[in-house]
Amino acid sequence: MLENAYAEALQKVARSGKEPKAVVSSLHEALARRGRQALLPRIARAFARIAERDLSRNALVLSVAGAEAKARKETKQVLDAMHVDMKDVEVREDDTLIGGWRLEGREHLYDASFKKHLLSIYNRTIKS
Amino acid sequence: MDNSTVEKILKEIERFEPKGNVEHVGRVVSVGDGVVAIDGLSKAVMSEIVEFEETKGKSLKKSFDAEGALYGLVLNLEEDGVRATILGDTARVSEGMTVKSTGRILSVPSGDELLGRVVNALGEPVDGKGPFKKATMMPVERESYGVIDRKGVSVPLATGIKAIDAMIPIGRGQRELIIGDRATGKTTVAIDTIINQKNEPEEKRPICIYVAIGQKESKTARIVQQLKDVDAFSYTIVVDAPASAPAALQFLAPFSGVAIGEYFMDKGRDVLIIYDDLSKQAVAYRELSLLLRRPPGREAYPGDIFYLHSRLLERAACLSDAKGGGSITALPIIETQEGDVSGYIPTNVISITDGQIFLIADLFNKGIRPAIDVGISVSRVGSAAQTKAMKSVAGGIKLELAQFRELEAFMQFASDLDKETADRIESGRRMVEVLKQKNGEPIPVERQVAAIYAANQKFFKDVPVNKVTVVERAFVDFLDANFAATLADIKKTGALSDDAKKKLGKGMEDFRVAHSEYFSLAK
Repeated sequence: MLENAYAEALQKVARSGKEPKAVVSSLHEALARRGRQALLPRIARAFARIAERDLSRNALVLSVAGAEAKARKETKQVLDAMHVDMKDVEVREDDTLIGGWRLEGREHLYDASFKKHLLSIYNRTIKS
Repeated sequence: MDNSTVEKILKEIERFEPKGNVEHVGRVVSVGDGVVAIDGLSKAVMSEIVEFEETKGKSLKKSFDAEGALYGLVLNLEEDGVRATILGDTARVSEGMTVKSTGRILSVPSGDELLGRVVNALGEPVDGKGPFKKATMMPVERESYGVIDRKGVSVPLATGIKAIDAMIPIGRGQRELIIGDRATGKTTVAIDTIINQKNEPEEKRPICIYVAIGQKESKTARIVQQLKDVDAFSYTIVVDAPASAPAALQFLAPFSGVAIGEYFMDKGRDVLIIYDDLSKQAVAYRELSLLLRRPPGREAYPGDIFYLHSRLLERAACLSDAKGGGSITALPIIETQEGDVSGYIPTNVISITDGQIFLIADLFNKGIRPAIDVGISVSRVGSAAQTKAMKSVAGGIKLELAQFRELEAFMQFASDLDKETADRIESGRRMVEVLKQKNGEPIPVERQVAAIYAANQKFFKDVPVNKVTVVERAFVDFLDANFAATLADIKKTGALSDDAKKKLGKGMEDFRVAHSEYFSLAK
């Protein structure tokens, strides 16, 4: 799992604001010194994986069914509490929600969809 | 749909407020072999239940038709996420799926409703008799009671097996290991113990819990039927984690069983729990640990395999009167390979328990059943719980049998034996016969006392060895018919008074006169 350690380190250095070209070149030098150049493709893949993971972790997705404007209005309070601007939120249309909205991301889920409530009614009355 | 359902739905719709409440979630990044890696869920705690959201992106109709909720159990807390085991069908989980934290620790239902039922490791009924309505939820993982809350073992738990009740007595709250190779009668000893509880008065009768781990479904079905046939199922609960169940459920089953038992113990009741068997649980836990990428140790078992069994068996206890005086008696079963008790798991469990009943294949194949090796079987606390009557008759049996086994081996080489040695061998042979017992036929303590008392008095001396078992049975039946009051007195007082001894002596004389045909060796 050496490639993961290098990828994590690469990401940390990149986050510190250094030039990507300089970061990669110093990584290359470090690998060459230890005779580990063969790791480079694997480090690249691990780096891409970590970047993708971070992206999906930080992404906020607002799924709406029907009236998007109403959903945007209702989610404003939630987004303010999270210190997130609406323009950073990806909005998707999801008809399976029937109505309402659903905001997911950053380890949180706000589900104000009709589907969720209809399902809970169904589970409480029919299944139990 | 009936009117009440329609009304219920209308009420629910009236109360409907489409407001979302925040939930703590993660995302499945990889899944396989019953284990799932989840990104996120940074606030999850160990043993927390998480729910997989299967309805996302599905239409309402498809969501209605979906099976019940699918849960997972958090077992690893890692830097970037958690690893959990899936408590259900792995095929229902896919990469990218949202996983919700529930904030609940795994619990199982318990209560009187569970008596006479078969449940799985999650406490869900699997006998087709419908769900539980008034069950109390008990946490599967719970700290065991401390020293102050416990008291010493002092009340016997009769197994109905002469060899055990006489030589390796078990007390309520004890942990006694049943260990032996495959097909040596381990389960039979355990099931006979359950059946024997029928002889206890209802108010003192322990609730019995049989936990089947990694067993064939057919074997469990046979045991359930056997218990039903002898009317012992009404006070028994079966927790079934069959060989076909995921490793996670096999690992959880004993904990679920003891959680169910704790409900009754906390209410002041006595509980007998059988783990059949912990070797299979250890194997399931090893599988799970390797899949969770925990570092392997000896025989690839994880480092906490000892803790797995010690924390389970420590939950067996005899509570103080201040805590209600309930108890859990545990009979864990361990299967050995070729009689090797020095294996990793057997030695672990031997060191945790308060004694062991060792069953050996040689004795079993010789027809000596139960095939208990009295030489290495021991009960460390049970003697304090033995009744006075049993103590008075069983005192020297263990030594006598041990000497007999030694002489028996010696006899194969010596052609000429002195009278004392020959007498000892003859007496030992008869004692072995007296201790033989058929499976599924446990014997009440007072009958055991009478039979062993008679054997100590050399009552079977003139009976051919191959007839001893038959004569012993006939003799006890004879006592039952003609000296019932004496047997009842032994049962009631738990002691063998001089008067009772006299009556038993009279019974022996009367039986000898009435059935002289059995005593063909008399000169």
